[in-house]
Amino acid sequence: MRSAKWLTTAGLLATASLVLAGCSGAAEPAATAKNVELRMTVWTSNEDQLALFDAIAAEYIDAHPEVESVTFDPLPFEDYTTTLTTQVAGGKAPDLAWILENAAPDFVDSGALAPIQGTLEKTEGYEFDDLNAAATKLWKSDDQLIAYPFSTSPFVVFANDDLLAAAGQPTAAELQAAGKWNWEDISEVGSAVNAATGKAGFVIRDFDYTTWDNLATVWLGWGAAPWSEDGAGCEFASDEMVDALTFLHEAAFEKKSMPGPGATADFFAGESAFTVTQISRASLLAEAGFAWNLLPLPEGPAGEYSMVGQAGIGVMAQGENAQVATDFLAFFTNPDNSEKLAQWFPPARDSQLNAQTLAAANPVLTADQIEDVVVPGISTGVVRPSHTDSAKIGQTVRASLDAMWTPEADVAAVLDGVCESVEPILGN
Amino acid sequence: MKTDAAILARRTPPNPQTKVVVRRAFFYAALAILAIPFVLPTWWMITSSLKPISEIFAFPPTLWPANPTLDGYTKAFEMQPFVQQYFNSLYISFFVTVGTMFISSLAGYAFARIRFRGQNLLFLIVLIGLLIPSEVTIVPLFQIFNEMGLINTHWPILLVSTFGAPSVLATFIMRQFFISLPIELEEAARLDGLGRFAIWWKIAMPLAKSALGAVAIFTFLHIWNLYLEPTVYLQSPELFTLPQALTRYTDAYGGQLWNVQLAAATMTALPVLVVFVIAQKQFVEGLAQTGLKG
Amino acid sequence: MTTESTVLPDRAVARSGGTGPRKRRLTHKQRDAVAGYIFVAPQVLGIVAFVLIPLALVVYFSFHEWNVLANSFTFVGVDNFERFLGDPQIAPVMQATGIFSVFLVFFNITIALLLAVMLNRSLPGITFFRTLFFSPVVVSLVAWTIVWGFLFQDNGGINGALEVIGIDGPNWLREGPTAMASVVIVQVFKNVGLNMVLFLAALQGVPQELQEAARIDGAGSRTIFTRITIPLISPTILLTFIITIVGSLQVFAQIAVLTQGGPGISTTVLVYYLFQQAFLFGEFGYGSVLSIVLFLIVLLLTVVQWQLRKKWVFYEN
Repeated sequence: MRSAKWLTTAGLLATASLVLAGCSGAAEPAATAKNVELRMTVWTSNEDQLALFDAIAAEYIDAHPEVESVTFDPLPFEDYTTTLTTQVAGGKAPDLAWILENAAPDFVDSGALAPIQGTLEKTEGYEFDDLNAAATKLWKSDDQLIAYPFSTSPFVVFANDDLLAAAGQPTAAELQAAGKWNWEDISEVGSAVNAATGKAGFVIRDFDYTTWDNLATVWLGWGAAPWSEDGAGCEFASDEMVDALTFLHEAAFEKKSMPGPGATADFFAGESAFTVTQISRASLLAEAGFAWNLLPLPEGPAGEYSMVGQAGIGVMAQGENAQVATDFLAFFTNPDNSEKLAQWFPPARDSQLNAQTLAAANPVLTADQIEDVVVPGISTGVVRPSHTDSAKIGQTVRASLDAMWTPEADVAAVLDGVCESVEPILGN
Repeated sequence: MKTDAAILARRTPPNPQTKVVVRRAFFYAALAILAIPFVLPTWWMITSSLKPISEIFAFPPTLWPANPTLDGYTKAFEMQPFVQQYFNSLYISFFVTVGTMFISSLAGYAFARIRFRGQNLLFLIVLIGLLIPSEVTIVPLFQIFNEMGLINTHWPILLVSTFGAPSVLATFIMRQFFISLPIELEEAARLDGLGRFAIWWKIAMPLAKSALGAVAIFTFLHIWNLYLEPTVYLQSPELFTLPQALTRYTDAYGGQLWNVQLAAATMTALPVLVVFVIAQKQFVEGLAQTGLKG
Repeated sequence: MTTESTVLPDRAVARSGGTGPRKRRLTHKQRDAVAGYIFVAPQVLGIVAFVLIPLALVVYFSFHEWNVLANSFTFVGVDNFERFLGDPQIAPVMQATGIFSVFLVFFNITIALLLAVMLNRSLPGITFFRTLFFSPVVVSLVAWTIVWGFLFQDNGGINGALEVIGIDGPNWLREGPTAMASVVIVQVFKNVGLNMVLFLAALQGVPQELQEAARIDGAGSRTIFTRITIPLISPTILLTFIITIVGSLQVFAQIAVLTQGGPGISTTVLVYYLFQQAFLFGEFGYGSVLSIVLFLIVLLLTVVQWQLRKKWVFYEN
């Protein structure tokens, strides 16, 4: 990087001599350990959440005079990782950053994040051992915690009971009671809903026939995985995956229980009977004009399963105040603050994985729903598949999988093609 | 081409009034049909900004809100410093537009009228700016401005847009205009002892109003809709420009709040549209006298 | 780096020119030249600072492997260029780029010219129609693209309309050829208004007397249009041609929103591929090579068009 820096400086000098003098006064003074200004990039622009962050930060600043300010910098969710990477490339990395789970291996393995475990362990009252083992797995490198999983949100099924009733179908609770809470039966019911009402059966939210990793909520039920444990071998062509995707293909093109490619149906606007999404979306139901229910993921041929989506906070190694930033992270995620944050972000602390804490988090959910669906989801859920080079793998698989989403597609052949194109990247 | 009905109308012998009426009716019907793909999306944007979210996604789409609400509009102001962002876009667009008019008319005049060594090479260098997509140079530019401590200020947008690649098209337009301007006027002024600067300001510029109008419209629209640069350079919501602010109307989980976004998008587009309606006669007729006509 | 060194002499001239007027002993011609340098200085220096220097840095990056997250920056020689030559994606990407640009430019110019001819008259309501056709230009690109995305859905507005006249519409964004068509359509309607206004202005500058004279000589309206109108507005056509083709090579937000380069990689044009490599995959080194390729293509096209103008542009000046 030294030579690049040099050239940039050369370019800078040349540029500086050319541009108007008017802007020269804006040069930043080198930050000293005294007036530390921390910046954390986040992808929420929700006022209530930002207000809570600010409140926590204000409390921290009161006790730490060396910290001048903590800024929470919302970047748009859609190109969050891209924007963050651009900032890092430009030498303007934030001190702390939220990290999406699919980018976790890239950040954790690259050395872009500063180690945090030592500081967290040493911080008084932090109760490091309280952190859930399953929830922290993705965020460790060589058994050391590299980023803190501040949000562990289970995938669940929301059902529109009004729509089911309108189609003459049993409610979700009735289905579950009758032992029919499995993918085959849900597809049957969805097919009937579509035939009776023209609305959609089940929707894998945010899949949209592009973001294929959301299909993990389905293929886990068949015991399928996209790649081997060590990440080196492609398993898209496995029998389990072929069966799982054959199920989806039939659902989309024959049974019409799932909207086909290019068709949208928003569950929260009442347009589908079921949707698979993260529990955090429950807040959207506060304004829903229909009767709904919350259930765990249905059973697949391979049995019961659950899955979580995660987000972490990391300390960027590039920042000048990495140690101060780590201290702040230890404060931001201590037991007290973790409980406050649980309003929106299900915590990774065993002691807080209970109905009391989580009931405060999701006022639209009943205690039973939290006890039966949310708590087991978080404590047993596997994390969505992830891999280094996630963007490249995501794009390569998407391009190959596109051939699948036509009525006559040969599922097994397409999946062979997926492996062929993605294998060279996995092996890297 | 039969489309030029006016020419046809003049060529053929005088018609009974009814024939003209029928022909007119066909003409307007054709225009109306052609206008559908241009108008429908905008229409949908404006009307949907008045719909509740559930209705926005209704299929088939409704052309008129069944339950009109101003919810999206009030939320647009509550969620972000929208007034401040509006002001940011306005003042950045204004200064870049004025700055570009100044710089491009100077350079365009010199390239068209003054002979100096290296002129062609310099013009070629300037033209390169027209050929570089902003994606290509954004990373090095970000590094340069970061070293100068100008990230999260409006300076990168103001400086690059006014002096850099976006202003080249303006210089090109001005050069084409000044080339077509009769040289006699300037020669008379020169005999009166006016210097180059005075000739440019007192003789050439007053004649260039129409070309400057074109430059102003191009530049303003370009800066008003600029998206990539603000997202890269700006980090604080109170510094955002409008296109950037539009993408930030999301719920707690990054889901887009469509009614609010559409309300904000409508407020962004309507004033520019109104200005065009008012100014378009002068604009089109002004352009007609510029070098653009050839 | 070569660009840098060729610029230096001129910059030096510009500097010494800047101190020139104080000597007062310059000839008229010299004084004029000094004014020339001063006049072009802000623009030229701006291009050097904000285009050429960054471009030189891009060239420099292209010889390096730059892993942003790992903070590693290693010299790899021409590896990135070799990778470009061996990249199996390049052929389809170039093909998509060519198809997109050709269709976009063709439809944009033709429709703009057609509309301009239709609207070049003073009838009641003409201003209203001009505004309608121009309106997409001022609508935010992202909003515009999202709305069209709805219309192109399998159960969207376009197929709904086709159904009314008994046509079973395709699944627009999910099949290669129609996905490309969709991207072109969205972009054409967005920007035709701008070219239309330019053509309208050009048409109003065509002297009526010439057309009258031709008519008296017995020319038909088609002949008048192709033999008189078109040649007279040919400089405008050339200008819009250049702007549109250069613009077509820089389009990527629409593709990102509508198709993300798919299905397969059928709508992955060069600029989108560049964006993917550099910003999504973090391969700034390879992205820089693609930037250079894109720049060379645009440069080549512009030079070719500039040469061609001598052949078919009726007159200049």
